[in-house]
Amino acid sequence: MNMFAHELRMNRKSALLWAVALAGVACLFMAMYPTFAEESESFKEVLRSMPEEMLAAFGLQIDAIASLLGFYSYVFLYISLCGAIQAFHLGASMISAETRAKTADFLLTKPVTRGAVLRSKLLSALTILVATNAVYFGVSAAMASFVKRETFSLSAFALINVSLLLTQLIFLMLGFALALLLPRLKTVLPLSLGVVFALFMLSAIGASTGDGKLRYLTPFQYFDRAYIVRHESYEPEFLAAGAAVIAVCALFGAIRYLKRDVHVG
Amino acid sequence: MNIFWREMKASRKSLLLWIVGIAAMVGSGMGKFSGMKESGDAMSGLMADMPKALQAVFGMNGLDISTVTGYYGMLYLYLLIMAAVHASMLGANVLAKEERDKTAEFLLVKPVSRMRLLLEKLLAIALQIGLFTAAMTVCSIGFVAQYADDASRVTEDILRFMAGMLFVQSVFASVGLAIAASIRNAKRAVASSACVMLLTFLLSVIIDISGKLGFASFLTPFQYFAARDILEDGLSPAYAALSVTLALTALVVAFRSYGRRDMQI
Repeated sequence: MNMFAHELRMNRKSALLWAVALAGVACLFMAMYPTFAEESESFKEVLRSMPEEMLAAFGLQIDAIASLLGFYSYVFLYISLCGAIQAFHLGASMISAETRAKTADFLLTKPVTRGAVLRSKLLSALTILVATNAVYFGVSAAMASFVKRETFSLSAFALINVSLLLTQLIFLMLGFALALLLPRLKTVLPLSLGVVFALFMLSAIGASTGDGKLRYLTPFQYFDRAYIVRHESYEPEFLAAGAAVIAVCALFGAIRYLKRDVHVG
Repeated sequence: MNIFWREMKASRKSLLLWIVGIAAMVGSGMGKFSGMKESGDAMSGLMADMPKALQAVFGMNGLDISTVTGYYGMLYLYLLIMAAVHASMLGANVLAKEERDKTAEFLLVKPVSRMRLLLEKLLAIALQIGLFTAAMTVCSIGFVAQYADDASRVTEDILRFMAGMLFVQSVFASVGLAIAASIRNAKRAVASSACVMLLTFLLSVIIDISGKLGFASFLTPFQYFAARDILEDGLSPAYAALSVTLALTALVVAFRSYGRRDMQI
């Protein structure tokens, strides 16, 4: 329990900041929804004068985007980007904290197994992410009901929000595994930002070219929000892919953490 | 020049990693273009009529992604983010690491003035940013040219894109340096620099989505050289001047505050 509490204490400030930042960004984005909906409305008028096939190809898309859930699906991309940075950084910095601060000998000479250290670290990371998500969920739901123009499916909204937590879990474990892969990590932040933004870019390329296979490469694409809105469920194959990434990273990280030589001094 | 060479040697691995990453990004991004070429044409006509906010949602931002430069312009935003991450981390880290790794005393008792020290570190930053952009330019031209009908025109556009990127990089690097030189707690320097970078990025996204906040563009370097503007009007001299002013101001702040900085040892 000591280690668990210590990790929470070490990270509480940044966790609080992230929760506030995520909720704030969501509020800012949602506040733009009313004007966005009006503009899309007038654009739909333009679309009616277009040839039939244009309307068929585009009209539905526009309808889907101009709804609250459609707009939320879009801005959620940036929310999940921020969430991914938080989670990846949390995973990578938590597991490498002792070796970076040269306190590994202090921790590892305590009468606890490495397994126990690992468990309490991961458990506290999980707690932090769940708490952040709880704050985010509450604020975004309140804001959504405030700006809505017509009723929207609450279950789809909830599923989208839960996908933040799932994406974060994947990135947490990626960060955890990557930090253990690199033996002498000194600054974590460049690594976190570099990896997360690279995956974000891959996701953008995949989205704008409609490449199906590329989706497996980047966790940002595991939870397609258009699919969630239509079917009110996640895609099973990508849920499985996410679970597989988490499992592989956890396994690799655990084996590595339990066995590695720790540099002291 | 010892400090300069020491700096370059210390960061050659990470620079190499960044360059490999960038090359992979440009390569995989442009590889997807061949699939885009056919389907894009029908879209581009309609895109012109679309409200700005909707364009942002579709990820086009006024770019015709059926042309090779338009498509590259879409990638450019993400390449710009990677460059900004690299520059802001580099600028902050180059000073902050001395206190973090407890080598500040060792460095400061050497018979060189702090100004000289900072100048050599600044030179190292400049060279690394230059190498980063040079690598990006070579990759971009190499990967883009194979799709281009008029290679010299495309090369010219890419050089313009890269010049814009250099301006943005120098702003973020010098702001990072200024933060690291003036912040009380060196451990926070890298995080603060990242925070500035992320906030300006989010602001840029908000400006794109809202379509009405154009007047706030001067607040975020990500808006200074938008791909659409570069393709249509070339580099904006006003924003180029603004970037240089920002970078120089940040450097003045950095030199003044580093000269009287209390090191935490």
